[in-house]
Amino acid sequence: MKRQLGSLILAALLGAPACAPKPPVAAVPTFDTKDFGGTWDRYPLPTENSGQDPSVVPRPEPIPPPPLKPEFKDAWDAEQKKIAAANAAGEPIATGYTHCIPDGMPAMMMAMFPMEVLQTQRQVTIIQEAYNQVRRIYVDDTLPAVEDAEPGFWGHSAGKWEGNDFVVETISIKDNVRFRNAPHSAAMRIHERMRMIDADHFENEVTVEDPEYLTGPWSWKWVYQRRPNYKMYEYVCEDNREYADPVTGKARLRIDHK
Amino acid sequence: MSTAALAHHSFAMFDGEHQLRLTGKVTEFTWQNPHVYIQLEGKDPQDPKAKVRTWTIECANPGILNRAGWKFNMIKKDDQITVVVAPLRTGEPGALLKQVKLADSRIFGNGGPAGLPNISIEDGKPLPAGAKP
Repeated sequence: MKRQLGSLILAALLGAPACAPKPPVAAVPTFDTKDFGGTWDRYPLPTENSGQDPSVVPRPEPIPPPPLKPEFKDAWDAEQKKIAAANAAGEPIATGYTHCIPDGMPAMMMAMFPMEVLQTQRQVTIIQEAYNQVRRIYVDDTLPAVEDAEPGFWGHSAGKWEGNDFVVETISIKDNVRFRNAPHSAAMRIHERMRMIDADHFENEVTVEDPEYLTGPWSWKWVYQRRPNYKMYEYVCEDNREYADPVTGKARLRIDHK
Repeated sequence: MSTAALAHHSFAMFDGEHQLRLTGKVTEFTWQNPHVYIQLEGKDPQDPKAKVRTWTIECANPGILNRAGWKFNMIKKDDQITVVVAPLRTGEPGALLKQVKLADSRIFGNGGPAGLPNISIEDGKPLPAGAKP
């Protein structure tokens, strides 16, 4: 593939003679379909002055609610209503962020802040700037049995290449690490299928399966746009002056000097 | 979509509708995660009854602010600055920054998720809806 690409570039540099017929359009991508390396923003960024052109790649559909089994859905619905009512009343409920707790999986892949991918043949490492989050995906590795896998924020991930798709499976996310407040069991598995769309975009099809809590797969897609030459900032959640009121659980702002 | 829904946490404790313009002296500037803070001894310069209070002003985080053009040392203790803020609904002297004007007259926003000012940092008058300050 590289040789074909080189020939194309050489032809472009030399320039085709004016009288020659146009060469057929090459089907070979002009980018490396197996290289996610670099720094990335979520796409589209939520703010209008992001510098992104939101028409370049179709924007992903909104993430659907978790397909929780009926016995869990009522509690989840009630929790969502409680959060919305608290926000509407101007008294938001403190969250994990208030306590400097990072997202974990799969939430870190929303790319709240820029994300860096470091890629070698045997490991794909993804760093999320917010909360200095790091996940390591071991290529062609075998996942441990769930009962032997220590639960964590990012769990255990194994990846493999299926053509141009990098397919990742993740297990053993801690019970209190939740995406969109959805409860899950130790049996939850997160499947991801990452694929380069063009030189500057890649997509991640995410499917969460959990036979104990979900009626079926919970799927959505995230898309990322390259942020060239970006150098990631460090992020130590050092001193949040927002805190959880110990009585009400509402978020408050600490006023140091009254 | 509301601004709060775009942010990684809710800004609902701040009153974005009734923004304030404050001028005064910086007593502390803390460049850290998850939020940068400005302590400002200030008041509304156009309110003759206003008393100077020490405000705790929440900014975005260093990453967002760097990407919005800020620099870690662009505000220093004793600087005279003007800000437009969304105050706490509780009436305490705490607020979310919307915009800051430095002593050298440069003006900066607080990154996308914190939202835009709805009053002018120059004179405190309401900005037209949808205005790009």
